[in-house]
Amino acid sequence: MPILKKKNLDTLLQIWKLEYVILAPSRLGNDVLLAEYNPESFTLEYVNFTLPPKQYLFEMKEKLYDWEKNEDGSIKLKEPSLNIGSRILFGIRPCDAYSVAYMDKFFSENYSDPNFLAKRSKTYTVVLNCTEPGSKCFCSSIGTGPFGREGADMMFTPLGDEYFVEVLTRKGERLMHSASGLFEDSSPEYLVDKARLLKETKAKFKAEIDLDHAAELLDRNYDNHIWDLYTNKCVECHGCTFVCPTCLCFNVLDSADAEGGTRSRHWDSCQSSYFTRNAGGHNPRSETSKFRYRIYDKLKYITEKFDMHGCVGCGRCIQTCLGHLSIIDIIRELQKYEEDISQSKSGEHRRDCNLYIPQIAVIKEIHQETHNIKRFIVQYEDKDLHKSFKYQGQFFEITVFGVGEIPISIPWAPSNNEYFEFVIKKAGRVTTAIHNLEIGDKIGLRGPFGRGFPTEIAKGFDLLFIGSGVGLAPVRTAILHALENRESYGKIVIIARAMNYDGLIYKQDLKNWENIDGVKVIYALSEPSEHVEAYTGKLDALLKSLDLDWKNTRAIVCGSPQRIKLVAQDLVDLGVDENQIFTTLETHMRCGVGKCGHCKVGSKYMCLDGPVFTYREMKELPPEY
Amino acid sequence: MTNSIDELEKADCIFVIGSNTTEQHPLVASRIQEAVRKNKSTLIVVDPRRIPLTEDAYIYARITPGTNLALINAMLHVIIKEDLVNHQFVSSRTQGFEELKASVAGFSPEIASKITGIPTSTIENMARIYATTERGAIVYAMGITQHVTGSKNVAALANLAMITGNIGRESTGVNPLRGQNNVQGACDMGALPNCLPGYQKLEDQRVVEKFKRVWGDFSCEVGITVTDMTHHSDANNIRAMYIMGEDPAISDPDINRVKAVLADLEFLVVQDIFLTETAQLADVVLPGASFAEKDGTFTNTERRVQRVRKAIQPVGESKADWEILCEIARAMGCDMGYSHPSEIMDEIASLVPSYAGIDYNRLEKGGLQWPCPDKDHPGTKYLHKDKFAEGLGKFTVNDYIDPAEMPDEQYPFILTTGRILHHYHTGTMTRRSWALESERPEAYIEINPSDAQRLGLSKRSKLRVTSRRGSLVVKPLITDAIGEGVVFMPFHYNEAPANILTSGHVDPKSKIPELKVTAVRIEEVK
Repeated sequence: MPILKKKNLDTLLQIWKLEYVILAPSRLGNDVLLAEYNPESFTLEYVNFTLPPKQYLFEMKEKLYDWEKNEDGSIKLKEPSLNIGSRILFGIRPCDAYSVAYMDKFFSENYSDPNFLAKRSKTYTVVLNCTEPGSKCFCSSIGTGPFGREGADMMFTPLGDEYFVEVLTRKGERLMHSASGLFEDSSPEYLVDKARLLKETKAKFKAEIDLDHAAELLDRNYDNHIWDLYTNKCVECHGCTFVCPTCLCFNVLDSADAEGGTRSRHWDSCQSSYFTRNAGGHNPRSETSKFRYRIYDKLKYITEKFDMHGCVGCGRCIQTCLGHLSIIDIIRELQKYEEDISQSKSGEHRRDCNLYIPQIAVIKEIHQETHNIKRFIVQYEDKDLHKSFKYQGQFFEITVFGVGEIPISIPWAPSNNEYFEFVIKKAGRVTTAIHNLEIGDKIGLRGPFGRGFPTEIAKGFDLLFIGSGVGLAPVRTAILHALENRESYGKIVIIARAMNYDGLIYKQDLKNWENIDGVKVIYALSEPSEHVEAYTGKLDALLKSLDLDWKNTRAIVCGSPQRIKLVAQDLVDLGVDENQIFTTLETHMRCGVGKCGHCKVGSKYMCLDGPVFTYREMKELPPEY
Repeated sequence: MTNSIDELEKADCIFVIGSNTTEQHPLVASRIQEAVRKNKSTLIVVDPRRIPLTEDAYIYARITPGTNLALINAMLHVIIKEDLVNHQFVSSRTQGFEELKASVAGFSPEIASKITGIPTSTIENMARIYATTERGAIVYAMGITQHVTGSKNVAALANLAMITGNIGRESTGVNPLRGQNNVQGACDMGALPNCLPGYQKLEDQRVVEKFKRVWGDFSCEVGITVTDMTHHSDANNIRAMYIMGEDPAISDPDINRVKAVLADLEFLVVQDIFLTETAQLADVVLPGASFAEKDGTFTNTERRVQRVRKAIQPVGESKADWEILCEIARAMGCDMGYSHPSEIMDEIASLVPSYAGIDYNRLEKGGLQWPCPDKDHPGTKYLHKDKFAEGLGKFTVNDYIDPAEMPDEQYPFILTTGRILHHYHTGTMTRRSWALESERPEAYIEINPSDAQRLGLSKRSKLRVTSRRGSLVVKPLITDAIGEGVVFMPFHYNEAPANILTSGHVDPKSKIPELKVTAVRIEEVK
């Protein structure tokens, strides 16, 4: 394996310069660019070139042919002269070299592109491996670097005061041959050194993000509302496609007068509005589709078509974007979106204790909400347990020692972490026993278990909460979470339903919420009340009268299963997305951890896969509840 | 701009009024976005249209066109009433506060709300946020200047900045975003009817003597403004015009009138890079060279003088503007003796104090922001640090009046005009670029969905839009970005020139036309 002493690099370039045009790293103003080798501007201080090497193989403007009309009316066509001298692209990085390999495949497959091939055949690539990642680089997450070899004829790896040199292709051999005198032999230790350097470098280029499954992630999230939010921030400058090493779209233009003219091709961008517009004015791609397309092409479609990476991880688009958008941030946000939705799907119960043995908690306060509903404030006896508590899940299993255990939903907001609050209706044996407890009494807590309401924020959405009677308790968590992030949402409507005013819980909260800007509280009671203005009519009429942006509305509904189905259907009829209607389905539960079988509906366990479901998921369950 | 573009990133509150920043000054918008997204700055946007910048706004106030002064005066009212005034600044650096206070005492936000269509609480909130912020910057553009109260609007914004002490410090200030790349430079050089270069006064004998020593004798008559020329040529006895790099046949208001005036001239010379609509009416066309074909400087909106460098030889017979002017002057018997633009800059430096430290050598290393009073001065980032130009800042009284043309039964819509991202002004350059022209090849009028529904329109309809002066046919763009009762047209398209509708009503002080408010009627063409 040859090595080259770093001090001989200039000499090497001078020797090569006798036979080839050298395009080398050159400092021009604030940029380092590939430009004709000039010792004055030559530099090795760079992460990557401002522009990718594509312009040397696929120029911004390329002639396709000239034509001339002769006097007799016949047309004469002239091919462009594609003869160029041989050139070396010296100092390109593995990510950019990969793009050359991609261009090879792209321009040769199906039909061979003569303009590209003419230049490509005369182009040699010498990669200079990076050992420090740039701030926006993510080649290691894609898999094109560091030290990636595709597209390189020769590869230089800096090791101390030398370069470890690898000849990877025939063209590389030719280059080596031209200057063989300068290269020295190395010993096998170099391979060890290079491997160590690779390991160290890889550690520095830590994979920022899991892109291995990006294509599937994108598949699942085509309709995600996140795309609209990003589209609004894009300023349509086309900078991303301009600086991308693998963006190769072009427009074909004719310029002419009556006697003759030229047809040429020019770089074009899928981000332009007219890119897919038909002559009649119809454009199949909406603004959002257009924005989304580039991401999908880079991370999914190119791979599907060419079995190569569409994105090389150079980070230029992120650096360039005037709207401060980043392909990596978009993937991250989609990943987080999915994570939030599946949060506590497999109840992340504390692993520091036995699954079936409760923690002791003390009753601190008791409030009478209605004649048969009480609100209990409890705290772990070991207060430290609150510190290590993670908010997730939807319910706790509450034990009255010697009597029994019941699942009760969590009605408090995520930011409280020093106490728990439970709203319990007296309905059976255990709940009656709970109602007979006093301040200071001890109860047992297991959990939290179950899948809760979504915590990911549907930015810009309107929110509709409907809670019937004690059903307002589980919904309150979601209300408080939303109010803590008020500015991320549009209008908020809270409908509290009950037979009469007395049957409502959280009466004070309802009054407080009404005073918040943009929040509307509606008391939907069967009987009118002298305490508040109540709506006593039908619920579907009430829904129709709400001035919400239904297409961008998220609804959280809690009540009896029949009620939920009717309300959900009404909402779907109004235009709400089935995936944005959330409800809790309460069934008889015992163990709370998906073992005892009591809460199973179809193949789903209400305590594991629920109790919170979207209306869409709910419809897929067998109607046994 | 009193401050610099970069400073916006660190402003705690940015108040944008009358500027579609994302589409017209994208790099300034980029700084504003940076400020909001990275530095948690509070952005307030006031505009009749839901422009892209509202995406990042903490408050977006949709305003009825032509009512800006009502809003600003109401904000002053709230700030004074709730005692959010920066008393320290007002007492040490300003004068005229009591008169200002009296003038807005009756202009409550409730009154302004009725005029502007902005909710009372929003007006109050905007005032409170701007007044209590650490560093507040105002950004404005043609949206508030192209009105009969244009100068008053700007003066009122200056009141707002002074009353809260948001001027003379970093990341504050009153920041107009100039439209053309060198309009600042042109004004700096005295391409104004009433100033010598550097805004030096024609009435000041010492200044005039200074210029005469270098230029020889010259006319010291105060000239007239563009609207006076193209609208009142007779009254001003204009018989010939020499128009450089301007296309009034498309960009001036009431173009039917403008074209009549131009046609009536005894002699019209147009100097431009392409044969524009105006050039087609000329007796003589002088082909000018574009930015790529000449050396010189442009001065941008933040007072930064930067070099523009020749990259190719002038195409065909075109010449740099300065060369053309010198040749004409020579033919008239005056040899200006310049051989290169750098010599012109040296002369400028000797006559204009704020450019005194600027020369082409220094400009090689990057731009310089004036005032740059000597060769070692690094340029000035922001103005009015310790004192204002005339010592103390002067509050002014700016009473609200309605726009000159209000909608009525015959002309029920308010038309407001403006620009779009992909085209520039009359499209002399942009409509000749395939990439830009393909993006937006057709004229259109923005109309609200409720209005469209009421008129029975679809996106395939053709509309006839008529004002008291002219009429055109155009396709609608139905969008809720525009409010009810208001319509918007970009003025770039000569096949549907929006300025055939606009009026010649002008601001009495600056003579800027009220391009932002025209009353129109809309009918479907069957």
